[in-house]
Amino acid sequence: MTAPAARGPVGEAGTGSIYDLGYRGYDGPRFGRLTVLLSLLRQSLQEAYGIGRGGRAKVAPFLLLILNAVPAMLAVGISAFLNQAGGSEVLEQGMPIRHDTYWSLTSTFVMLFCAAQAPELFGRDQRYGVLPLYFSRVLTRIDYALARTGGLYVAILIVTLLPHLILSVGAILGAADPITGFRHELPEVPRYLVVSLIGSAVFAGVSSVVASYTPRRAYSVAAIIAIFIVPPIVVGIIAALSVPDIARVLLLASPSDVVDGVNGAVYGPLRIGGQTFDVATLPGWVYVMTALGYVAGSLAIVIRRYLTVTV
Amino acid sequence: MPLIATKSLTKRYPGGVTALDDLTVELEPGIIGLVGANGAGKSTLLRILLGLLEPTAGSASVLGYDVRTQGTALRRYVGYMPESDCLPPDTTATDFVGQMARWSGLPRSAARERAADVLRHVGLYEERYRPMGAYSTGMKQRVKLAQALVHDPRLLLLDEPTNGLDPAGRDEMLALVKRTGTEFGIAVVVASHLLGEIERVCDHLVAVDGGRLIRSAALTTFTERTGMLAVDVEEGAERLAAALMAAGVDAVADGRTVLIHLEDERPFDLVRDTVAELGLPLVRIEQRRRGLEELFQ
Repeated sequence: MTAPAARGPVGEAGTGSIYDLGYRGYDGPRFGRLTVLLSLLRQSLQEAYGIGRGGRAKVAPFLLLILNAVPAMLAVGISAFLNQAGGSEVLEQGMPIRHDTYWSLTSTFVMLFCAAQAPELFGRDQRYGVLPLYFSRVLTRIDYALARTGGLYVAILIVTLLPHLILSVGAILGAADPITGFRHELPEVPRYLVVSLIGSAVFAGVSSVVASYTPRRAYSVAAIIAIFIVPPIVVGIIAALSVPDIARVLLLASPSDVVDGVNGAVYGPLRIGGQTFDVATLPGWVYVMTALGYVAGSLAIVIRRYLTVTV
Repeated sequence: MPLIATKSLTKRYPGGVTALDDLTVELEPGIIGLVGANGAGKSTLLRILLGLLEPTAGSASVLGYDVRTQGTALRRYVGYMPESDCLPPDTTATDFVGQMARWSGLPRSAARERAADVLRHVGLYEERYRPMGAYSTGMKQRVKLAQALVHDPRLLLLDEPTNGLDPAGRDEMLALVKRTGTEFGIAVVVASHLLGEIERVCDHLVAVDGGRLIRSAALTTFTERTGMLAVDVEEGAERLAAALMAAGVDAVADGRTVLIHLEDERPFDLVRDTVAELGLPLVRIEQRRRGLEELFQ
C-alpha cells in the first residue's frame, strides 16, 4: 500500500492543517456593469432602511416613514368614523389632510429622513475607506454615484408615496361603493405621483450632494437640515424687508420652496382650514423646470464628486 | 502575452511629486514581489494597474487589457487588497465579503457561497458572523485578503499584506499568499518594504526606488548564495559548534544559531548526524543568501 494521496501542500503541516480544504475556482456567470449597478441600488435602498444592519439602524428610517404616514392614517380613520356616525359631509369637506396639502404638511419628515439616511449611504464608504474596494471592481465611479443616489431616491419615494396610497385606499373603501370610490379617486393618482416623483428627486439629489461631500456623519446631518430650512428663512427676511419681487425669484434658490411650488403648480393654491396660501407666485412651469434643474445639477455634482475623489 | 506590461509609465501628482518615473517592465505569471522603501511608488503602481489612478504618461496593460480604456473588463479578473483600512466596523465579514463578490459581478447565491468558502480559506470561522469592528488586526487582514479573492481573480494585487501583524501573523499571511500563488493558480503581486519577507514567498522580484525601476529579475539571480549555512537550534548551539569544530568544520555559535562556513557538500550530512547524536531541538537549516538590502546601497 502506498500512502494516500496528499490533500494539502507538502511541508506546510504546521499552518496548513486548518486551511486544508482545497481551493475551488469559480466558473459561473459574471454580470456586467448594469446588473451590478442595479444590485448596488437595491443594496442602497436596503441600507437606507437599515436592513441587514441590526436593530438600531432601523429605528430612525422606520420611525420617520411611519410618522410621515400618521396624518394619512388619522384622516382615513376620521373619515371612516364620520361615515359611521352618519356622514357629516360638512366636516369631511373641512378635512385639512388631503392629497393636495400632504406635501406641505409633512415635508419636514421627508427632510429628516434625508438628513438621517443620506449620510448612511454616502458617508460610510468614505469614512471607512471602502471606496477603493468598489472602484477596483466592475462598477465605474459614475455607476457608484448613480446607484447610491438612485437607492436614496427610491427610499424617499417610498416615504412620500405611502401616505397617498393610504389616503387612496381609505377613500375607495370608505366610499358608498368601491367602484364609485375608485372612479372618484383615480384622477388624484397622476397628480400625487408627479409631486412625489419630483419632490423626492429634489430631496434625494440635494441630500446626496451634501452627504457625498461631507463624510463626517454629524456635519452631514446638520448640513442637510440646514440646506432645507435656512434658505426659506433668508427669503422670508428679504421679503419682510419689502422687496417681494426679488424674494419671489430668490425662492427658487430654496429647494424645499421649489417643491412647494411644484405642488402648487399641480394643485393650485394651498387651502387649509378655509384659508388660502398662495405659495406659488411664479408660473407653475417655472417651479417644475427649476426642480428638474435641481435634480440634473445634483446628479452632475455627485458624479463629479466620485470622479475626482482620490481613493 | 505578459501578465503585466508597462511602458514608460509615469505618474506625477499635483504639487510636483513624481511617484513613478518612466517605468518599463514586463512580468510573467507567478508570485511577484514588488519591493521598495515607503514612497518608492509601489502603491501608485498597483493603483494604476487597477485603473484606479490615471497615469500621467506611458501605458500599461494587465492580463492583456489596457488599463486606461478597458478598466471594467480588466477589474473583473483582478483582486485588490489595499494597504489602508477598508472594513466598515458594523458589518459582519460574511455580509461584507458577500457584497464585494456581488460588486464583482457574481450572482447573489454564488456570492454568498464564495464568501463562506474564501473566509474559511483565510482561516476565519465563527468570527465571520460578528461585526468587524471587534476584529484583531490579523483577522482584518484576512478579511481584506478574502474580499480580494472572493471573485476568483486571475491576478491578485496585495499592498503590504503583512502590515501591522505580529511575527506569527506575518508567517500565516505569507503562507496564505504563497498558497494562493502556487496552489490556486492565481498570479500574485505583493508590494512590501520588507525585503526579508518578500523573498520567502516570491519567485520574481521587482525593485523600485524613487519611482524608478531598479531591477526586475527572478529571485534566484537577486540573492546569490553565500558560502554560509545557518543552523538554528532551540538550545545547545555551543555544544553543536564544538562538536562540528571537532569534526573539522569551521563553525561558530551565535546565540541560538550556528554559522558554518561551506566549502563543499560535506557539512550537510555532518550537521544532520551531529544534531541527531546530541539530541538537539533543531529549528531550521538554511543557506544564507546575500541580503536584498544591498540592492539599494
